[in-house]
Amino acid sequence: MLFSRISLLLLSFILVPTVCAQTFTFTAIPDENESQLQTRFNKVARYLEQELGVDVKYVPVKSYAAAVTAFRNNQVQLAWFGGLSGVQARRLVPGSDAIAQGYEDQFFKSFFIAHHSVELVASSNFPNLNGYTFTFGSKGSTSGRLMPQFFIERNIGKQAKEIFSRIGFSGDHSRTIAQVEAGAYQIGAVNYKVWESAVEKGLVDTSKVRVIWETPAYPDYQWTVRHGVEQTFGSGFEAKLKAALLNMKDPELLASFPRLSFVEAENQDYEPIESVAIAIGLLD
Amino acid sequence: MGDKVRFFGPWQRLTAQLWLLALVALLFADIEVISVDPWAELSRLALGVISPDFFATEFLLSALWQTVNFALLGVAFGIVLGGPLALVYQHPFVAASCAMVRGVHELFWALLFLQIFGLSPLTGILAIGLPYGATFARVFHDILAQSPSTTERGLPFNTDPLSRYVYGRLGHVYPLMLAYIRYRFECALRSSAVLGFIGMPTLGFYLETAFRQGQYSEGAALLMLFILLIGTISLWAKKNLIPVYLLAALWTIPDIGIIDGGLLWRFVFYDLLPPGIQGVIYTQMELSDGLNQFYQWLASITINQALPGVFATVILALSALGLSHLVALIAHLVASQHSGSKYRAVAGQLGLLVLRSIPEYILAFVLMLLIGPSMLPAIIALALHNGALIAFLLVKQEQGITPSATYKKRADFFAYEILTRVYPNLMGLLFYRFEVMLRETAIFGILGVATIGFYIDSAFAEIRYSNALYLLAVTALLNVVIDFSARKLVARQVEDSIAHGRSCIT
Repeated sequence: MLFSRISLLLLSFILVPTVCAQTFTFTAIPDENESQLQTRFNKVARYLEQELGVDVKYVPVKSYAAAVTAFRNNQVQLAWFGGLSGVQARRLVPGSDAIAQGYEDQFFKSFFIAHHSVELVASSNFPNLNGYTFTFGSKGSTSGRLMPQFFIERNIGKQAKEIFSRIGFSGDHSRTIAQVEAGAYQIGAVNYKVWESAVEKGLVDTSKVRVIWETPAYPDYQWTVRHGVEQTFGSGFEAKLKAALLNMKDPELLASFPRLSFVEAENQDYEPIESVAIAIGLLD
Repeated sequence: MGDKVRFFGPWQRLTAQLWLLALVALLFADIEVISVDPWAELSRLALGVISPDFFATEFLLSALWQTVNFALLGVAFGIVLGGPLALVYQHPFVAASCAMVRGVHELFWALLFLQIFGLSPLTGILAIGLPYGATFARVFHDILAQSPSTTERGLPFNTDPLSRYVYGRLGHVYPLMLAYIRYRFECALRSSAVLGFIGMPTLGFYLETAFRQGQYSEGAALLMLFILLIGTISLWAKKNLIPVYLLAALWTIPDIGIIDGGLLWRFVFYDLLPPGIQGVIYTQMELSDGLNQFYQWLASITINQALPGVFATVILALSALGLSHLVALIAHLVASQHSGSKYRAVAGQLGLLVLRSIPEYILAFVLMLLIGPSMLPAIIALALHNGALIAFLLVKQEQGITPSATYKKRADFFAYEILTRVYPNLMGLLFYRFEVMLRETAIFGILGVATIGFYIDSAFAEIRYSNALYLLAVTALLNVVIDFSARKLVARQVEDSIAHGRSCIT
């Protein structure tokens, strides 16, 4: 009786018809402060709706990999990707375009930070990291993993796992800071913007943890639009979208990312990211 | 059975073996305590706990509601799946398939379904329902096997098979099964919250972000609500209300969206194919080149990821098993109504509620700040969670025990009268939970401990699904091997312990 009741319920639930209008869907993971995502990015959606004249919806996701999957499966048509996830997404959906990047993303960088017990001084020369414990950020992060690992391996000439006595993936820039500050790892790699805003807000004790090296500049976050939007939303849609993004001037909207403004970008800008990812074995 | 009462009886032997196993595992475990100064971060955490912010989270009520929805629908789906399977569970193929399905953590099922259904609620419901169905199959089967056959034999000769089954078998054990479903519903609430970690709109979505980003006031508030939700299940999950909740769940679950068969096809017949094989089928790769590439891939992933991952997983789970035993014994002593004042028992039981409700992920996160990033935080987190859960079930079970007239609330009386009665159940539960611990190591993989979960998580992050599939298959097989050998081990030691353990779970 119970079984049949529940199975009937389940059946009705699978057969419930779903209606899906042509909604332009996007996703974004900011590199810091993920609180109130839906509320903040709904405002971005309203702005795009106004500029584009189509229904726009924001879908929150938890990871770069989830964003790439949603993009590939056409569950989102536009995404605010990190450098690496953008490259992954455009490889999986050929014909997709990077159309805009943050002003800061033209010359992004990572900081290497060290616990105060580590006897390395801040320098423009690459530090001798041999034998220390080290934490990256999230596994798919450009500024927390990809570029730091590349610079480490290129400068020291060995694989990361041969250099460090222990390697971790903290999962997030603010956790990298917390773990190095607590000494759980001696050294860590962190997005420079996240570090600067943590210092500014007094969330980090700079007598416990300090910057010892900064990477050369590289391109990072960008807006990527999916191949095929012109067929769905009309020709000229991509250009309209690009203009809307570049003209986003409202500081409240920009603070969600957080970026000063958006500037033009194209796929070629991210070729260095792709070759770095291939060099360290993250892409085939 | 034994006519002689030995001092070193079967239970002592089993306990000694358990400890020997755990100690050997600890020898291989990475349990380095890294001296650190965690106080800055811990004081921020403590500040968050004493100043919880219940208004920091957007759509909080919806998140609470969806946590219940996913748990309900997941369990319902699990019953629909596991109920019939329980009837054919004696078939080794069914038993092994179920063990394989159970061996994969809900999070990884969800990551697989995410590739096909996206963030549709189907992903979450299937991720809970599938492994829960496999668990229901096994436990219902064991419960049914315990039901006496006397009634069935007394039924008239021409009774139809369905009535025979319902009146003769099910009637006896129906309350047991219902109680087990109730217990699994609590587990499902936890699973439902944890699925938020990968994007389902449940409490875990916000909980994980809050802790990951150091928003401790928000995190503490969410954790308190979650503990409250679990602690008050008996108040709001009334039997008669369940159909209402189920209907409400169907109405209020987010839109399922369109299911694209093409995605399923592409995922199974393209993404999951290992390198080499994919090349031979979809490009003009020569068969011999393809096989060569496939072999290279297989050798590399087996040697570099699968074997070290399995080793770390087993070591971690065995160490946690020993420590869980200790935690369960102590926690049971503290929270039992037979061992101390009423107030202490209430306080102890509150402590058990908190420890068993906090996701291991959060426990390990805090411990990692305290003692550094070795395997130790994971071992302690697993032991605290599972020890508290076992102690909770024991405390519930011993409500039916009336001690002798001369009983005093002292440790020696407790050990002699109460512990001896619940000990078989304790051991049965502990071995049953071992499978769960093995699966839960996945979570710590995501935190960075190099269990097989770590490599699976990396494979998903790198969008290398064939790697993920291979490692998941290894995990599932590992569970089959452990399931069969644990049953053998316990059954040889104490024949009826499994039955005891099972009735205690209920």
